[in-house]
Amino acid sequence: MIVLSVLALILWLFIIPMCMGLLLQGLLPYTKKTIGITFLCGFILSFAVFEVVSIPCMILLKYGAFKMCVRVFGACEILLSALGVFLTAKRVRKKVRDGYVPRFSEDFRGGRIHTFMKLTFPGEEKADPSALISPRTDVRVMKVQYSLESYVFWGIFFLIVLFQLFMAVFMAPFDGDDAYYVVESLLAQQAGVMNTILPYTGSSTSLDLRHAMAVFTMWEAFIAKVSGVHATIVCHSIMPLVLLPLVYLIYLEIGRILLAGKQAMVPIFMIFMSLFIMFGNTSIYTAETFLMMRTWQGKAMVSNFIIPLILWLFLWMFDDCRKPGYLWKEETAGGTRVIRNCSWVILFMVNMCAGIMSSMGIMFACGFTALLTFLLLIYTIDFKVIVKAALSIIPSVIYLLVYKSM
Amino acid sequence: MYGIFMESWVIFKQYGGNGFMLVLFAAALIYLLIAEKDYRKKMVIGIAPLIVLLGFFVPFTRIAYVAILDDGADTYYRILWLLPMGVCIAYAGCKLFASHRRIGTVVVSALIILCGSIVYKNQYMQRAENLYHIPQVAIDVCDVISPKEGEPRVRAVFPEELVHFVRQYDTNIMMPYGRDIIAWKYYNAVHEAYENVETINAEELLAATRETKCRYIVMPKGRSIDVDLEEMGLTLIAEVDAYNIYEDPKMVN
Repeated sequence: MIVLSVLALILWLFIIPMCMGLLLQGLLPYTKKTIGITFLCGFILSFAVFEVVSIPCMILLKYGAFKMCVRVFGACEILLSALGVFLTAKRVRKKVRDGYVPRFSEDFRGGRIHTFMKLTFPGEEKADPSALISPRTDVRVMKVQYSLESYVFWGIFFLIVLFQLFMAVFMAPFDGDDAYYVVESLLAQQAGVMNTILPYTGSSTSLDLRHAMAVFTMWEAFIAKVSGVHATIVCHSIMPLVLLPLVYLIYLEIGRILLAGKQAMVPIFMIFMSLFIMFGNTSIYTAETFLMMRTWQGKAMVSNFIIPLILWLFLWMFDDCRKPGYLWKEETAGGTRVIRNCSWVILFMVNMCAGIMSSMGIMFACGFTALLTFLLLIYTIDFKVIVKAALSIIPSVIYLLVYKSM
Repeated sequence: MYGIFMESWVIFKQYGGNGFMLVLFAAALIYLLIAEKDYRKKMVIGIAPLIVLLGFFVPFTRIAYVAILDDGADTYYRILWLLPMGVCIAYAGCKLFASHRRIGTVVVSALIILCGSIVYKNQYMQRAENLYHIPQVAIDVCDVISPKEGEPRVRAVFPEELVHFVRQYDTNIMMPYGRDIIAWKYYNAVHEAYENVETINAEELLAATRETKCRYIVMPKGRSIDVDLEEMGLTLIAEVDAYNIYEDPKMVN
């Protein structure tokens, strides 16, 4: 039974998000097609789909809402991940048939899996000497062949993260809000309801939309239901093992853009970030305290997942501003419009995710997007960014309209 | 306006705790605003945080925030989440020590450690007793009274120190009051009779628990009560750690 639960957790928390990420990978420019970004995109897509499925279930169905939500969302996840795998397989097969050789390494001797990985995640390609001298490659954003010293720094970073994951399981932070949020998840798992029983006492209640619209608790309940693991264990012991590395993936991408051209500094940047997160508990209010002590709550995800994601996406947009035309074309498969605008497409989905985390999340996501768009506008003097930003916050506007109309 | 500004200043200081990390962040921000030559990066991790910081202290922001959000007065500090403090400090450290990586790693790491406070020393952080991350005694008590498969849900009175955890373990156990009563202190007859008195009046307590159909009463051993609950007709069904668990036969279906 335990083995089955562990396998189910691996399936729903790692394999399916990865496969769903493959579906979005087609939108990503060449250098962004990495394992980490694909995994991140998978989670973003998963959360976005969950918002679309769960909120109608919760509002429209009086009985059996969670059961229906589990069925529909589970089916959507499987369907989208199957589609992701199918499209990737098709893409890879086409590349092999066309005799495609990954650009910066002509070494196909690594075996089939190695070749498959290279073709599926070309962004993982390390910059080699030929790339460094080529005028047609942007080596600033490519991974480098790290020196021994850099590997030592990476090792230190991974040890710190491992320590944090170990402590996340073996230390138990107390937070009063768990009596609300975690019980909401458990109620969904045990009673099959979506926010219609008062968590504190067990009495029936009407839908409290302010909390109910933030369906992150229901997503955790979904994971608990499909894995057969008690929702409280999922929240307190499993979620940190998934969400902490996910947060570090975002900071890794932020570091890769900030330290473009100095990629050997990235592991050092990550060491600083991991220490900052661990020692950021200067008060009970900081984002870092929320991340380490309430990882499973939507508020923690707003401050440590949504806001850093928006920061990363805007760093990416700013980074793309002044790329030379030829490089731009190389990276974006001939300058396809959807690939050129994929950071905006992801921002659209991040705005959907913000809604499931917390009702406050949409306000922060919109506000932060507006501020960074304003700066982007000043920098580019391209008024199209206003239109793009307005389109990207449509999910938040719809969310607000539903919230106000109920 | 000055009063609102001072409120924001107090919130800012509370957010920063000992304040050293805020100083480190301010130093990193100033350094990036001066030394960063790439305007694209400066815009996102230099100018944007500066605008957020200034906006936080502008009284109109606080007025609007409190007007929009029901609990805006209590959650205003969350605007500071928009400051990428970690990213600014880490990037400034990398930039400053780009040509002295080893020394830089040690110096910046030491600064973060010395200015910060490790989360595992937080007063609310304890060693986990189980994977649920709730006290084992709460689980043991719940195991005694949890209804079996197919049985109706039960209602039980718990002392305040356990109310947070009971329904995190089993939602089939209902309670006449929960964690909310600790936070918001509303009136509840059972809570009045059970928690708000030095010596419990057994008769009043039973009247209240029967009114709310409580089948079980979980009582800390040694809790002062005028008449023993067994003498009042309740059955002591188990003793778990520091608690006695009583069942009220009148409330058994």
